[in-house]
Amino acid sequence: MKLSRRAFLRAGGLAMVSYGLDPLFLARAVYAKPGASSRGRVLVCLFQRGAVDGLSMLVPHGDARYYKERPNIAIPEASVIDLDGRFGFHPALAPLKPLWDAGQLAPIHAIGSPDPTRSHFDAQDYMESGTPGVKSTSDGWLNRFCQHQREHEQTPFRAVSFGPELPRILAGSAPSLAIGDLRAFGLRAPNDAARDRLTRAFEALYEKAPTGLLASSAQEGFEAANTLRRIEPDRYQPEHDARYPNGRFGQSLLQIAQLIKADVGLEIAFADVSGWDTHVNQGAAQGQLATRLGDFAQALAAFAQDLGERMNDVVLVTCSEFGRTIAENGSVGTDHGRATAMMVMGGAVKGGRVLGRWPGLEPAARFEGRDLAVTTDFRDLFAELLDRHLGAGSLDAVFPGRTADPTRYLGALRT
Amino acid sequence: MNIAATPRYACGRLESSVLAKLGMLALAVISPPAGAATAASRPSPPAHSALTASDSALHVLQRFAYGPRAGQVAEVAREGALAWLDSQLAADGRDDPRLAAIERRTPALALDPEDWARRFAAARRAKREGMAGEERAEVRELTGQVRALVIARAVTAEDQLREVMAGFWFDHFNVFLDKGADRYLLPGYVEDVIRPRALGRFEDLLLATAQSPAMLFYLDNVKSVAPGMQPARRGDPAKPARRPVGINENYARELLELHTLGVDGGYTQQDVIAVARILTGWSMQPPAQGGAFVFRPRAHDFGEKVVLGARFPAGHGEEEGVRLLRMLARHPATIRHVCEKLCARFVSDQPPDGCVDAAVGAWRASDGDMRAVVRAIARTPEFWDEQAIGSKVKTPLEFVVSAVRAVGAEPDSGARLADAVARLGQPIYRQASPAGYPERQEDWANSGALLARMNFAVALAAGRQPGASVDLDAILPVTIENSALVDAVNERVLGGAMSAHTRSVIVAELADVPDPVRGRALAVGLALGSPEFQRQ
Repeated sequence: MKLSRRAFLRAGGLAMVSYGLDPLFLARAVYAKPGASSRGRVLVCLFQRGAVDGLSMLVPHGDARYYKERPNIAIPEASVIDLDGRFGFHPALAPLKPLWDAGQLAPIHAIGSPDPTRSHFDAQDYMESGTPGVKSTSDGWLNRFCQHQREHEQTPFRAVSFGPELPRILAGSAPSLAIGDLRAFGLRAPNDAARDRLTRAFEALYEKAPTGLLASSAQEGFEAANTLRRIEPDRYQPEHDARYPNGRFGQSLLQIAQLIKADVGLEIAFADVSGWDTHVNQGAAQGQLATRLGDFAQALAAFAQDLGERMNDVVLVTCSEFGRTIAENGSVGTDHGRATAMMVMGGAVKGGRVLGRWPGLEPAARFEGRDLAVTTDFRDLFAELLDRHLGAGSLDAVFPGRTADPTRYLGALRT
Repeated sequence: MNIAATPRYACGRLESSVLAKLGMLALAVISPPAGAATAASRPSPPAHSALTASDSALHVLQRFAYGPRAGQVAEVAREGALAWLDSQLAADGRDDPRLAAIERRTPALALDPEDWARRFAAARRAKREGMAGEERAEVRELTGQVRALVIARAVTAEDQLREVMAGFWFDHFNVFLDKGADRYLLPGYVEDVIRPRALGRFEDLLLATAQSPAMLFYLDNVKSVAPGMQPARRGDPAKPARRPVGINENYARELLELHTLGVDGGYTQQDVIAVARILTGWSMQPPAQGGAFVFRPRAHDFGEKVVLGARFPAGHGEEEGVRLLRMLARHPATIRHVCEKLCARFVSDQPPDGCVDAAVGAWRASDGDMRAVVRAIARTPEFWDEQAIGSKVKTPLEFVVSAVRAVGAEPDSGARLADAVARLGQPIYRQASPAGYPERQEDWANSGALLARMNFAVALAAGRQPGASVDLDAILPVTIENSALVDAVNERVLGGAMSAHTRSVIVAELADVPDPVRGRALAVGLALGSPEFQRQ
């Protein structure tokens, strides 16, 4: 490359001005802090798609009504891993108990969306756009955070989603990467020599692209690919005997840990896992849901184990679009409900406590007389994490329609 | 050649300097046939300079078609850019044997809405019974065909403008394939609602979408009932509530915000509620009964409503909804909003007022006839301004389809090209947001996706892209004269848009490739992956 990257960005930026295009790109060049340390704080967001049964993750085993409503699929008292006398983990979440004991993990119950939709599609959409009830929002809240929090080191790895396509939550004008597999990112060619050749040719082609955005995006892509080659993702070995489960989700967490340790400037990581829509044969202490939860917990535990001390910089949050019915249905499963349970984990987490206000299972306390009521708006949890962990300055722009109010925070993090 | 000699400007407020500029452009556009032919055969005219006949041809093919087929720029340059557009506008179901063959090989097209509903119901039963049954595989296969058809039609159709407009309207009136009943309602929506009206009157399109089960289900109008009314019966797809509920504002809100007035169109929350009340009862039959549109008087709110100051007196049923939609279709805010979107698609991401004014003028003069509006946009100075030419970044769909067209490849009947478009970030019929896929370059110039475009370009040129068969022999010679080869790639594949820089990079890359067949594939791959080809 003949131009230095900064000069290149500046040239691109000026070209943008003369073309009258979006100034956000310019802002990226101006606000970037090339000299800053690349070891920063990270927020990892994990989406359980399909509406996980919060009442099985975080069992209200102190409530007799729970057992009455679920004659076949309740987690037997003897199998529940008690947390605080009222709530306990599903036995499949056993790998997370040490994190709870160490005060690094806090579950939140009765959390969800203010919008009452029971459509997976709508509810996921709202949780990702961050604007419940407003469908036309075009970008996702994690992307809006990046758009408005511009002071960040210049890196293509600031916001990364692990999966083939960029999810809604990261869609928008701030640059973000979708990576299916760190080992396969970049130009494809039969061998290294051919790949180097193609890379060189395309880099040369884009070096003088007529406007800034294509050129800078391509440049970021090449930079990301080069960085990934340097950190040799195929030779990665998890530390501290961490064992990630096989499958896409476990591998996503492994790759997130890898990027965090590589100090490439990762700030936002996202991954999702489906299979929580347990309408039929949900199972109890064992069964379909137990298997899923076991895998999920093992992946989270391996992640914390692998990162070790580095978990002090990381907050991980799990979410799901809604919860499931309090009562089991006719096919020994559960149908779409309202509130569910989520978890936060990390060195900054004020854990070992169950967060949120428990509305109870009595019919009068339920939503529409049927489902666990939502007592915490999911945006208040996310806002706290963005504010207290990442130092977000403009939460009103990240969650339009929900005025930022620290008094609504759950106190999930140490301050 | 007289096509652009007397362009009509509906706005009529052009500065003289702009007019002078336009005059020059018009001269270029209507340069005599002999000149046009030589211009097309000249090697690599400098891109983005004075508009030659072939530059003009490339510009209209980039905007009103999915890019030029290999060699098509020269054909259109001979015909004249605006003459070609006029013939596209005049096209009315002309014979298109290649398109017909593609439609014939797509069994999903032979299904009527009842067939789809039956298959969907069977698949749903299979899912409920926990079986990974044949029924579900069949629905997957059929929806794969429907997605594949989008690519095959866009690549093949002679009536390119119709395909472009069908795509535009689908995005404007977006529906999401993976939301429940829309899995089986979407194909009929595309074939019977959108496509036949792609170049028709806006009002007809608006009414047809408003009475389509696909839209009413997608935006929850099937759940919207007058307060205190009994909801639809159990077993109905409209059923989710177990007790009487009230209106659902989703469709009403998007109708105003996205389909008609626009977000700044001057409506209030009270208007949204009134629109939702007017449209209560606009619903659909259960799948077992065919899933057709139905007006349910029992769910309708017969009270008085006021929308945007217009009174809708008590006691009216379905017809007050029709009256409302006609009113919205003609509202000045609607006309402006939709014209801005059309100009963002055809002129530039942030379209100048001049072309929007011209589009609005043509709309008013023609009562919303899309042929007149498109025709007017193509005749504005803004459309031909050098700031506009090559200014838009292609969407992933536009990129894949234009690449397949550029190398003369044949799409097969499978969904692998559609899957490639999905991997580039634009899964067909899978945009969950009712706003449809965005048009601005910020949304598509994502770094990972750009590298993926380069991979697609190289694979397609090398004949390694699943889903498309490529025969470069049909469009380019095998030659060891690298310079001549790159000129031919510029003319045949890039339609003359190649910059001097790109040309020199490709020529340099070819220097040490001994095998001319591999060299040709590399040259085409680099050209399709170049910045020029990401733009239109």
